[in-house]
Amino acid sequence: MKDTLIGKSVPRIDGPAKVTGEAKYTVDIQIPGMLCAKILRSPLPHAKILSIDTSKALKIPGVKAVITGRDAWDVRHGFVETPRYPADQYVLANDRVRYVGEEVAAVAAVDEATAMRAINAIDVTYEELPAVFEPFEAMQPEAPEIHPVEIPDLIGDFKNIGGQCSRSFGDLDAAFAKAYLVRKDRFDAQLRTHCYLEPQATVAHYDQGGTLHVWTSSMGGFRKRWHLSRTLKMPANRIQVHKAWVGGAFGGKIDLFSHEFCTSLLSIKTGSPVRYVAEREEIFSYYRHSQPLIIDLETAVDKDGLILGQKVRCYDNGGAYRGSSVVMVFLSWGFVVLPYRIPALDYIGYAVYTNNPVRSPQRGHGAPKIRYAVESQLDMIAEELGLDPITIRLRNARKPGEVLPNGDSIKNAGLLECIQQAADKTDFVNKYAKNRSLQMASGNIKRGIGMGVSAYFTGSLIYPNNSAAIIKFNDDGTAHLLTGATDIGQGAETVLAQIAAHELGLQMEDIQVIAADTGTTPVDIGSWISGLTMVTGNAVKKAAEDARRQLIAAGSKLLQAAPEELVLQNKRIFIKGTDTSVPFDKAIALHIEEQQGDPIVGKGSRRGHEKAEIGPSLKNARGAWSDSYAFDAQVAEVEVDIRTGQMKVINALTAHDCGFAINPILVEGQIDGQVSMAVGQAMAEEVIMNKGVTLNPSLLDYKLPTAHEMVESGHLEITTESYEPDQAFITKEVGEGLVSGILVAICNAVANATGEWPKELPIKITIAEEDWR
Amino acid sequence: MGISDMKEAKTKEKSRRIITLSVNKEEREVPVHDNETLLEVLRTKLHLTGTKEGCGTGECGSCTVLLDGQPVLACLMLAIEAQGKKITTIEGIAINGQLSPVQQAFIDHGAVQCGFCTPGMVLSATALLANNTSPTRPEIQKALEGNLCRCTGYNKIVEAIESVRNKA
Repeated sequence: MKDTLIGKSVPRIDGPAKVTGEAKYTVDIQIPGMLCAKILRSPLPHAKILSIDTSKALKIPGVKAVITGRDAWDVRHGFVETPRYPADQYVLANDRVRYVGEEVAAVAAVDEATAMRAINAIDVTYEELPAVFEPFEAMQPEAPEIHPVEIPDLIGDFKNIGGQCSRSFGDLDAAFAKAYLVRKDRFDAQLRTHCYLEPQATVAHYDQGGTLHVWTSSMGGFRKRWHLSRTLKMPANRIQVHKAWVGGAFGGKIDLFSHEFCTSLLSIKTGSPVRYVAEREEIFSYYRHSQPLIIDLETAVDKDGLILGQKVRCYDNGGAYRGSSVVMVFLSWGFVVLPYRIPALDYIGYAVYTNNPVRSPQRGHGAPKIRYAVESQLDMIAEELGLDPITIRLRNARKPGEVLPNGDSIKNAGLLECIQQAADKTDFVNKYAKNRSLQMASGNIKRGIGMGVSAYFTGSLIYPNNSAAIIKFNDDGTAHLLTGATDIGQGAETVLAQIAAHELGLQMEDIQVIAADTGTTPVDIGSWISGLTMVTGNAVKKAAEDARRQLIAAGSKLLQAAPEELVLQNKRIFIKGTDTSVPFDKAIALHIEEQQGDPIVGKGSRRGHEKAEIGPSLKNARGAWSDSYAFDAQVAEVEVDIRTGQMKVINALTAHDCGFAINPILVEGQIDGQVSMAVGQAMAEEVIMNKGVTLNPSLLDYKLPTAHEMVESGHLEITTESYEPDQAFITKEVGEGLVSGILVAICNAVANATGEWPKELPIKITIAEEDWR
Repeated sequence: MGISDMKEAKTKEKSRRIITLSVNKEEREVPVHDNETLLEVLRTKLHLTGTKEGCGTGECGSCTVLLDGQPVLACLMLAIEAQGKKITTIEGIAINGQLSPVQQAFIDHGAVQCGFCTPGMVLSATALLANNTSPTRPEIQKALEGNLCRCTGYNKIVEAIESVRNKA
């Protein structure tokens, strides 16, 4: 593949706009006459709303509109909306609030100060109700009821269960009976959050023709349009979600947020453009974070460390509405069964309602937490059996072609190579043994090395389920690529342009990408279900093939050669192996002339899963989940000062099977970012709450990694797939699966240094009493 | 509600005057309230939206601009304090459409992802290299310590800056 753009570290096409400040984000959209929106939030974790009086607010000069739940119809929304899990949240609180910060009213005014005055002038009378914040308390029969909810197949006598995923297979009793060793541990993973740098923001403008124009910092405009259409009761063609660059998301910008609805409705009510930008303090205190998860894990192994069976219970502190918690407890099942063979399993995950803010996905959505438990415990088992961490992982790792319990094949999985090569490259086994031998030696600074293994899926079926792409040629042989894909920083537009250019014999500069506009671009699955490169990428490839076929048909007439003899290169059509060619513009002109003005437009599409009718069951995890799975083994080395408890990650290595990398430098960027996020999550990050109130609502108090916490991050790519002409390609997920292995690698490295496995995150080092006295 | 209350109290102050700011080598007359931050004035009155607001409380560094060549946080500075100083925003770094070596290096080394921290990062790096043409890695990390990035893990940003040592 000479001169190919695939596999090349092409610079990102949005680079110049982003380094010069030209790139417009939602927060940068300015429209003349734009009003400022603010939101009134509940000060109580659980209360009845007895009355809301907005009359004083409406009298303030400069206040243009005030809305409450009464203006929002009786319509609810949810991250999941199914018969089992119907939507459970109003866009503005109706008669009850269930967490501190729940949206109660919104105002639009001429400026921020006036909007704040109006917010402060709204009188709400509440009757406080008892609240509950921890899952085990909320599950007690005598706990306050957060929602009247019934799960028909509920296992156990529990209250406040918003969702349950259960799945068993194999003979678990027999597995535990014949086990050489059984370990039972509890792991507790903290509440942590995305920390996208661009705040949540929305600009809405309802025009005179009755169309609502929306700019919103999001991970997928078509998903947002779907939610807005349902909650505003407006047809999809009357809502146009426009493109704006997105200042980071990491899972935190895909749900419908109340501010998106309120900003839209305020614009409809006032006829003016309205802008809402959340304060950073609001984001920390009231917006959707990841999900704290308590995991009870029992594992039975034989004397060689082979897993015979596992019993898993997950308790998700799911917040006041379902949010994505019911997906989280399904995914936790998935990330148990993906990397290792488990002959017998008894899994139950509970999504528990509590009076905390609603939860959303965060990079890895379940994987970082459940892998933290499984991989930590696997090292403990290895230690008890006298095995090294590599041997036990190689023994249990899935091999290419294995079939998952739901029937999906893992195809050319490169997990064994990942583990072996990561171990070889880091001299893992020797270092591990040496560090272990020095745990009791003198000296305060201990070193540790640890490995974590994980896997991830690549796209699935969830609305909008599919992606389409259009390529339209211009007279001069250049082309436009129309895609609904949202570039949230991962480089989506660059990768899609690479695919189109490669297929069409064009250079990057010959392709102009028009993206992320629900009015002008075709539907897109979005940047949140880990399938963009594979699903949208294959749609673009098909659109390019369609355009190429038309171009070649015209070229074939001009060159008087058979279509299969022709190739595209440098905006010309060549007869293979010769210098004879015609430029694209001549072929396009002929096509227009002969095909009744058709200028060559290529179309392509792909579903989130090629064959399945619907996505996997959130109830019992049955059914197809994904067409492609990525695997990784990651190694971290740490230094721990056992007298002060200070920890430092010295280096990290990621061995990953991403199929093949279309743009290696973008892949490296994803890995480095995930390593950094994992360092923060393992060692420092936590949203600290007390009775529903956030105590550290700022970037500094949350302890986000700074440039000083930068970790040397190595990459080892295991290539298991290739890019072939005229075939759909199989790439593998790379944007969120790699946060998990490195997170638990750090935990295991700390254990290798100190002899103690962290059972809670973030890691806290136990300091010997004589040292702190 | 702490920040919002402060903002409200701030704008109750009605004092307003015309000041002259030197922004990207241009003298700009602009009406401001005494209590308006440099960030608000740059973004909403001069429409220089390349300077970002990530927190408004001096924690993230997205609003970094140069004042007489030194990086400052525009969200923590009043516009009236910037009178008589040379302000450089991200829009003033490329000259005649030609990217600066730091800007080009950020693109070439994959140092840009979502791009929201990028203007602040580029300005911090530009200030560092103007004072120290050959900074060590710890010196680069020190210079960037006030600029948060959630996408890159900082690796490629530091590599980009290292690549223009002695060139910028």
